[in-house]
Amino acid sequence: MPKNGRFLVGLVGVAAVVTYLIWTGVSQTMQYYMTPSELVAKVSVDPSFHEVGVKVGGRIVSGSYRKGGGLHGFTVEDPEQLSVTFPVEYRGDLPDTFSDRPEMIVDAVLEGRFRADGVFDATTVLTKCGSRYEASPEALRAG
Amino acid sequence: MNLLGELALWIALPVALLGAVLGFVAGRHQRGDLQLGAERSVYAVFGLTILASAGIISNFLNDRFEYLYTASYSNRELLTWYKVAGLWSGQRGSLLFWLLFLMLFASICVWTNQRKNREFMPYVVGVLCTIASFFLIVLLFADVNPYERLGFTPANGQGLNPQLQSYWMTIHPPMLYLGFTSFTVPFAFAIAALVSGRLDLRWINVTRRWILLSWFFLAIGIILGMRWAYEELGWGGYWFWDPVENASLLPWLSATAFLHSIQIQESRGMLKVWNMFLVILTFLLTIFATFLTRSGLIESVHSFAQELKIAYIFLAFLFAIAGTGVVLVLWRLPKLKSENQIESFLSRESAFLFNNLLLLSVLFAVLWGTLFPLISEGLTGEKISVGPPFFNRVNIPIGLILLTLTGIGPVIAWRRASKQNIKKNFTVPVGVGLAVAGGLFAIGVRHGFALATFGISSFVMTVIVIEFFKGTRARARIENENWAVALTHLIARNRRRWGGYIVHSGVVIFFAGIAGSSFDVNIRQTLAPGESAMIPSPLGHEYKLTYEGMSTTSATASNSNDNLAFQLVALLRVEKNGKVLRNLTTEKRGYIAQNQPTTEVGIRSSFLEDLYVILSDVPDIRRAIMNEPDAQTATFTFMVNPLVGWIWYGGMIVAIGGLIGLWPSGAGALVRAPAVASARISKPVPVGAADC
Repeated sequence: MPKNGRFLVGLVGVAAVVTYLIWTGVSQTMQYYMTPSELVAKVSVDPSFHEVGVKVGGRIVSGSYRKGGGLHGFTVEDPEQLSVTFPVEYRGDLPDTFSDRPEMIVDAVLEGRFRADGVFDATTVLTKCGSRYEASPEALRAG
Repeated sequence: MNLLGELALWIALPVALLGAVLGFVAGRHQRGDLQLGAERSVYAVFGLTILASAGIISNFLNDRFEYLYTASYSNRELLTWYKVAGLWSGQRGSLLFWLLFLMLFASICVWTNQRKNREFMPYVVGVLCTIASFFLIVLLFADVNPYERLGFTPANGQGLNPQLQSYWMTIHPPMLYLGFTSFTVPFAFAIAALVSGRLDLRWINVTRRWILLSWFFLAIGIILGMRWAYEELGWGGYWFWDPVENASLLPWLSATAFLHSIQIQESRGMLKVWNMFLVILTFLLTIFATFLTRSGLIESVHSFAQELKIAYIFLAFLFAIAGTGVVLVLWRLPKLKSENQIESFLSRESAFLFNNLLLLSVLFAVLWGTLFPLISEGLTGEKISVGPPFFNRVNIPIGLILLTLTGIGPVIAWRRASKQNIKKNFTVPVGVGLAVAGGLFAIGVRHGFALATFGISSFVMTVIVIEFFKGTRARARIENENWAVALTHLIARNRRRWGGYIVHSGVVIFFAGIAGSSFDVNIRQTLAPGESAMIPSPLGHEYKLTYEGMSTTSATASNSNDNLAFQLVALLRVEKNGKVLRNLTTEKRGYIAQNQPTTEVGIRSSFLEDLYVILSDVPDIRRAIMNEPDAQTATFTFMVNPLVGWIWYGGMIVAIGGLIGLWPSGAGALVRAPAVASARISKPVPVGAADC
């Protein structure tokens, strides 16, 4: 039936537009999401990766926080490979849940670029929401 | 209390399993006695779950820190109300909380169906008990028992994250959970209909109000979450496309699609398979949302340590439900044949179908974006994530088409719209929409999506207002009533239709509020006391904010039972075009047993815009607390958020419309209900009648 045919064209049209939107949406906004070790390994193989914006999930090294000249500086480590660390610089507002105190374990998701000088230039810093942060029995014993 | 609660949890599991078995056997063999036992199991599990929940609350109230869960989310200083809310502050408690709501709704369902829908009820009870058993298994065997002991008693607990010590946060999760759990009832009826083979409109008529209830709670829960983010997270936004936020949106989207598509089945006998698909999908998504929120599968700002055991259990359950659903639908396919075909592209069926298609497109895009890190890791080995720009890019255009359909669907004719029908209904609204968009363009608005949103919103709003006007006028004439009475009666007589229009108008206002965010102003400035910042509003005026100075309170001075260690309040004098308004304050607060200070924003709301001030940074917070004169300089972020209030107004209107649809039929309905119920048994009420 021609009417159903027209309807089918409409359906296919919607599906095509949605697919197009998702496809271009992904390709224009996608970001590598890596651990610190993966990032360090990647740039050593491919130096051009210093220019690519990435997202990194790392752990804030206790006592590493410094502030100066409107710049927040701290160090992140890979929770699974503690030898891998790099310094981070950030100009924005740190979230309330940010902390570098030794009794806190704070994981952060950073977005930005891993510069050639080995410093991660962060444009956003998100810390894991403490609501889901369950204390370890050891921490409770200490506190 | 605590031992009783823990024991109750262990007893509940076998009772729930028994209820499930009894229910299915009673249905299969038409055994009323077994069915009675199954229904009593539902009440019993409900009672046991109440005991278990009361035990957790008593653990919080009595500071029983020998329990890991209590120690992790409470401390001695926590306000009593937040101790009660401890039941849902963390993963372990909230799984129990989920079960509590599920059993509440299951009991209501059994109670209200004692004398009706008897052919469905055995299977309904069977399904409800199966789901309850699943949650009990998770609670008891997936390392998330809220009664788990530490083996020692810490001196004090960790305390509750200050960001969660907020009024919104204590009511936002319960609303979402009410929404998630109440959808289990329609799902159970759908499965019962499939198993029993009674696939006429009955199950939809029975569950329509449950679906609306679930949808209503989800909508409120989502809006409250946005409100919480706006006030508490302190970055001026209300939606971040975070996996956990997305998870709550997904079932709402499919429930919305379902609420629309059942109307086509009711009036035209079409889309039966599709409706089954939607009801099963929505239920899966409520479980998926619970799972995503509470498992940390996808790295998100909300997530916590990966707990794989619970992830596998949930995944297995999801696949089992999906598999069962598919098998049942395929088995009953011959009974799910469509009675009609779509006749025209220009018809209400077609508008509703496109509405469904677009809602599911949004759902798919959100799901895809949320799961993309997992998908890409599975396919390429590299984790790739997409952020808010992806979701905005995909969803804004689809959302605008959906919004347009909101104006078309309700007034276009069923089956086939004539040229006259279209001309009569759409000339004025389209004119108004174009005029608004054109007018805004003329005064210099150049933001494409915002122009489109305001134009389409005006179009839809005009359609709705004209419908109300016509209906009221007709009633006022025929019944000889004054307009206010006529309008009330009009809504009361067909609450489903007019309630729906009110929801639509709320959605329109909501969309306009979101479009307003295209014109946000955001200025960051460091000020010493006495200095001012000039903040231009997109509406043309200018704010002058003068930093007057900082005041501090420390623990000794403040009321020590509210958990506060210090409070650093920055005072700002606000002038709008030279006219002095009320002062604004923004704070840093420190809490006992929490290491990080939190920020409290200052908000001045008006109908057209919010002035939003964040105390971004105090360079030397220790010396600032000591009131040292040279440590008073602070960095502020000033924002003007146009139309942000409309999001909350729109949300409230949506809720009111939902309530109108949910309200029982007229005054005295409760008294008459038994008579109606018994009448239904002897003589099925014709379907499609305007009862809701």
